Amino acid sequence: MADHHVIIDNLVKTYPGAQKPSVDHVSFSLPRGEMLALLGPSGCGKTTILRMIAGLIAPTSGAIRLDGEDVSSIAVYKRNMGMVFQAYALFPHMTIARNISFGLEMRKVGRAEREERVRKALDLVKLTGLGDRKVSQLSGGQQQRAAIARSLVIEPELLLLDEPLSNLDAKLRDEMRDEIRDIQARTGVTAIFVTHDQDEALSMADRLAVMSAGRLEQIGTPREIFDRPQTEFVASFIGAGTVFEGKVTEHGLAMVEDLKELRFVGDAPLGSPVKLMIRPHRLRLLTDAGQPNRFSGTVEHIVYRGQTLTLNVRCGSRLLQADLPTHAGMLPERGSTVTLSVAPEDVTLVGQVSP
Amino acid sequence: MQENALLARITWNTLITLLYFFLLAPIIIVFIISFDTRQYLAFPPESFSLGSYVKVFHNAKFISAFWRSLIIGGIVGVVAVSAGMLLSLSLVRYKFRGRAAVNFLILAPFLVPHIVLAVGIMLVIAPLGLLDSYPGIVLAHLGITIPYTVRTITMSLMAVDTRVEEAALVHGASPRMVFWRITLPLVRPGLIAGGVIAFLISFDEATISLFIVSVKASTLPTEIYHYLEYSTDPQIAALSVILILISVGVVVAVEKLIGLRRAL
Repeated sequence: MADHHVIIDNLVKTYPGAQKPSVDHVSFSLPRGEMLALLGPSGCGKTTILRMIAGLIAPTSGAIRLDGEDVSSIAVYKRNMGMVFQAYALFPHMTIARNISFGLEMRKVGRAEREERVRKALDLVKLTGLGDRKVSQLSGGQQQRAAIARSLVIEPELLLLDEPLSNLDAKLRDEMRDEIRDIQARTGVTAIFVTHDQDEALSMADRLAVMSAGRLEQIGTPREIFDRPQTEFVASFIGAGTVFEGKVTEHGLAMVEDLKELRFVGDAPLGSPVKLMIRPHRLRLLTDAGQPNRFSGTVEHIVYRGQTLTLNVRCGSRLLQADLPTHAGMLPERGSTVTLSVAPEDVTLVGQVSP
Repeated sequence: MQENALLARITWNTLITLLYFFLLAPIIIVFIISFDTRQYLAFPPESFSLGSYVKVFHNAKFISAFWRSLIIGGIVGVVAVSAGMLLSLSLVRYKFRGRAAVNFLILAPFLVPHIVLAVGIMLVIAPLGLLDSYPGIVLAHLGITIPYTVRTITMSLMAVDTRVEEAALVHGASPRMVFWRITLPLVRPGLIAGGVIAFLISFDEATISLFIVSVKASTLPTEIYHYLEYSTDPQIAALSVILILISVGVVVAVEKLIGLRRAL
């Protein structure tokens, strides 16, 4: 931890006149070359953290360390950060090449070197030969590439991206997602990006920091966040699922409301309360008897989604959502009774269980 | 039905034509009279010549007043734009106590009659010993032109995305560099529009100037006024036509160069 490239240490931001802090004692760190996603609903403080790291707003307390040195009191224009803004914020009165060259001019880099580095940056983001275009002559995707080039050409300490894909249409978004990941990997720059889109976070980031109401809920790899959510907020924010509360009665077996017995994998002491989550895509239509975790219920609602079929099945007082593959042969009908099952290893144990 | 519609359209078109004619009539009449050969103003002219124009160009008072007006207008334009830029920046970018009051005060000269302003400005300028001097008339004209430059520049400034300025900051530009390299170029249309308007107002303004200047710093409109007190000949009409052409020329030039309408 201590030798990590970026360390965010107990960062707090309380806006004047606000009752509660927008960012409340948040700490995390990144090793060099990592891509971290700050994920959370709007207003959770993720953009505020990004802007504090950039230097656009001053933290109320806490430290931002780069290679061990606290930069939180260094002026924004001396921090050597690269930032890609949500709407790109390219300089509308300059050509693309001048936009990219801007940071180098501010650093008094000589003309010849500037031109060479701008050319390389244009190549990196696949805008070769478009340097003379005006900003308005570029498509949304191209503008974003230009914004990335402008941020990377200065060889920043850190690349910050604020909702980088939110202004793109769905198809372009998938393309740019891979593209950004690829550029980041090739340049090896340490990067933090802010998003409210869990798919984006899961697919682009090495690790995710999930935030809610100014607090850091959990930080971990996509797999850890998805399969081992530490809090109910994380469990419900990342991926859909139904949470059941119950008590451990045997090792790996809990009595839960509505479903009676639920087998799971994980360490939870006997007699302790647990929260278990069943994700829709991990449920199966029961084919052979004798499997654990069987629930029967009435189909209340069916949505056909092409690749999957979403069923809402009433089990006791709860509605259980199941996403089934459509090749399942016999498709259930509304009002019919079905039996669903879930493998114990596919049941998500929410949070750390206190004895 | 159709006849009614036709009748309505003819009436409407006639009305519009008459209205335009009414608005343009004074200019047209002045234009025609300026070619008259008689020594008094009358319509229609008896015979036509360019004599009045020749006389205007040989009238030393008019020529020197023209250059003074040009210089005063130029200084007023530049200073009003600079002051307007600073005021607009503080009004758009900073929240401070009394911002609404300042905003209102800047608009106040729009609401007060020029004759009232003239007395007020004279009472301020006289104790400073600036009556009938360049600084005096420039100050007086700044008082009435700054509201216009604040207007046009504020409009331009509000259209500038602050994220663009932030992007410049993050990528290494000091606040000073952000101003010169980003903010100023982006509000250029507002600066030019404000400058042109300030110049034209200063160049054409008579009411306030009459209270401030007499001989040394007299402007062209005040010279015209004084000339009219003693004589009314077609020279005045010729000079008016020249002034109109200058104003139109400035507007057309700016329109061609950057598009004044877009700037406004």
